[in-house]
Amino acid sequence: MDRRWGIILALVMAFSVLAGCVGGGGGGTIEIPELTGNFEEDVINLGKFFESQGISTIKYTVWAAGDPNSIMRIYGVVEGAHRINKIFEDNNINVKITIEHYWEDSFSSLYSKFLSSVPQGTNGDFFVNSYVYIANLAEEGYILDITEYANKYSSVLDDFYAPLLEAAKYKGKYYGIPQDTEARPLYIRKDVAKAMGWDLTGLAEKVKNGEFTWYDDYQKAKEAVEGGYANWGVIHRKGSAHPDLMQFIFAFGGRLYDENTGKLVVDREALYKWFMVEYRMAQDGLIPKDMMSWDWGQQIHPTVVGEKDNPSNTLFYIGGTWQWTEWQTKAYYKDPQKGESRPLTPAEVQAKMYYTLFPAGEPGKSPVTLSQPFMWMIASNAGKDNDKYDELKEAYHKLAFLIIIAASDPEINAIHSVISGHVPVRREATALLNDENWTNKLINLELDLSSNVLDAIKDIIKSTADPINIKFLANVSYMLDYTHFAPSHPYYPKLADILKDAIDKVLRGAMTPEDAVNYVVQKVEADPDLKDNTEIIGEIPEGWHFP
Amino acid sequence: MLKRRGTIAFFLSLSLFIVILFYVIPLALTVYISFTPMKNWNVPRYLTEFVSVKNYHRLFHLLKFDPDTRNVVLTTIVFVLFTLTINVLGGLGLALATYFIDEKLSATYQVLWLLPRMTPVAVYSLLWYYFLHPTTLGILNSILMSLGVIKAPVDIGMDPALMPWGAWSVIIFVNGLVGVSYGMIILYSAFKSIPRELIIASRVDGASTWHIIRKILIPLSKWHITFVTVWQLLSLLTSYAHTFLLVEWRIVDPSWGQPWALYVFNTAFVGAKDQGLAAAAAVILSIIGILLGILALKVLGYEKMMTEPRGDI
Repeated sequence: MDRRWGIILALVMAFSVLAGCVGGGGGGTIEIPELTGNFEEDVINLGKFFESQGISTIKYTVWAAGDPNSIMRIYGVVEGAHRINKIFEDNNINVKITIEHYWEDSFSSLYSKFLSSVPQGTNGDFFVNSYVYIANLAEEGYILDITEYANKYSSVLDDFYAPLLEAAKYKGKYYGIPQDTEARPLYIRKDVAKAMGWDLTGLAEKVKNGEFTWYDDYQKAKEAVEGGYANWGVIHRKGSAHPDLMQFIFAFGGRLYDENTGKLVVDREALYKWFMVEYRMAQDGLIPKDMMSWDWGQQIHPTVVGEKDNPSNTLFYIGGTWQWTEWQTKAYYKDPQKGESRPLTPAEVQAKMYYTLFPAGEPGKSPVTLSQPFMWMIASNAGKDNDKYDELKEAYHKLAFLIIIAASDPEINAIHSVISGHVPVRREATALLNDENWTNKLINLELDLSSNVLDAIKDIIKSTADPINIKFLANVSYMLDYTHFAPSHPYYPKLADILKDAIDKVLRGAMTPEDAVNYVVQKVEADPDLKDNTEIIGEIPEGWHFP
Repeated sequence: MLKRRGTIAFFLSLSLFIVILFYVIPLALTVYISFTPMKNWNVPRYLTEFVSVKNYHRLFHLLKFDPDTRNVVLTTIVFVLFTLTINVLGGLGLALATYFIDEKLSATYQVLWLLPRMTPVAVYSLLWYYFLHPTTLGILNSILMSLGVIKAPVDIGMDPALMPWGAWSVIIFVNGLVGVSYGMIILYSAFKSIPRELIIASRVDGASTWHIIRKILIPLSKWHITFVTVWQLLSLLTSYAHTFLLVEWRIVDPSWGQPWALYVFNTAFVGAKDQGLAAAAAVILSIIGILLGILALKVLGYEKMMTEPRGDI
């Protein structure tokens, strides 16, 4: 009997030792490979590690949002995983990554969905969204602090534009890697200007030098509407998540954030001037009073690209670079000949749209633009749907990081830039856009992409990969020298909502600019938490006139 | 006696279980959450963190200093009072109308009035969206313009010149139409349960329709009217679905179209996702609802209705 128990005990011990070895580390602990900064080496190490743990399939889900042409926010991750799978295959590692994806048009809705899903564990493993959400998501512990991994890949990150990397940080730590960025030009309809007899030659330079300000915009908008050349003088976007209108604050020399105190800023003077510009324009019939309620597909875009009274048109549009290609893929233009809506061709967009920086608010101030870089973010529970998640969590996180490193490949970034009208986030991607050989390969669909990714994007490439669009991206890239960012602060969405409500009331004439400034201050001070996180500076200027 | 008590306990236990599971526990959880800093759905992080009465303090601070939160209180009072009046009096009027007409016609008429209640909230709100749209796309505007009543489209729910009654009239009317059918069905059934002989006898005695309504139908349906009033009062205090969509689609001004229940929803799930503050607001709403419910039952003589009938009747 004793002998039998002795054999069983010996077998158990032998099995334990064996299991420990198979587990990749002595003493029963699992040693997950460290990242080295060498992509291929790290992929192989992690692949072999997963294989040793008996993991042969790994599933991740990517959640992304945006305009219809920005689908590389999903397919970048799919392509990244494909490239890692290729390395596994070449090295006889029996591990395969699969990517599922979920898309929403509205990035603020996707953010809300992500917030409610993380505690339930039903969120995406990758979250591709605006950097403005990083602060809140990091505070809640919903996204991964990737500083340690990112530092290992400093050679890759060094190629990214520095301000974008700063936007990926919160309290000095990396919570994302830049995916794209953009500028927000002021578009001017060339056909309307021509009908008015306004020669646009050299205007972009004048705006750049601060010689053409919002005072001039007002005059030209008034001329266009009163002369019957356009239905509207100015059209802009809507909603608080879109920072377009915050450009007014910067254009009047104001600010939204104090880096020294880490608090948000309500700048009474800049707010008043912004509100006054919009108030006057709305009161004078140059901007629709219900602008903040306009429908994107039914009203805003059809007016921006439309003809006078068909359905309507505008002289100015405060928009974004990505819309340049959106007008080429979505049927916003109502063709007067056919009576049907259709997308514009690249040549038609070029023929219709002139673009400049967002002009200075008044003489003596500087022109601006505003960027809202999107980030590849990794959920803090990334890899949760896989076997042995609790034991191998760190390995799943590292693999997720490698996937976004692969998704940040210059070619993927350059393709995304061309098809979606976004500005590259890496110097190497910018170089590709200036490389005629590469752009020809793109136009001819001779890309080294997986077949499912190529299938998903080829139609968009066909309609957008045009020398005109590539030239447009090159032409607007100077705007990034003038860019500002909305604050990455947990309370910024709350302040942005208040500003959105205030401008809506100003446009509708429910409040004068002065009342609206006081309304904003009152709302901020009424919320104890927001008040503690906000500085109120400046005064409503006396004797300041617009126009 | 014991057997009787056991039978009572048996029959009550199921309903008691449901009440505890779906009413008492959620209310207790809401009270609990109102003492935590819960936000952004972060239950694991904030569930055991207590902030005492901070959320209540914030709420009263907002009520004191935030103009929009003050508007919420005013909107709630106006919305509940007016919509309740429409629901009860409208329901009564429809029940009376359908009671006195031919039965087949009455059924068709009732089905028509039930349509708003039967239509999914999103579809019904969408109909109102297109009806009230502040451009020529809006049915109301195009009708009024073609009749020459107005020269340019009117934005009833958003035009500052029409505030706050513009926004209030839209939410009252839309919700009133949904709720009116409920009163109609209950009160029509009540009228139908009154012995027919009473009506025939009064007719024989020369009573007019007005007399029949005043002296027979309404007095004999008093408890039904009480029920409809209290039920609708409590429903309106907590209803927000139709209003939410109309505000979201900017058919109604958010500053003047947001009753307390919608404020709770928006604070918890839209914008700030401040679930602790929303829970505090929900607790206040629950307390007001309970007090109003008790008050309404007292005023309308609920105890009298529940008294067992005297033996000599």
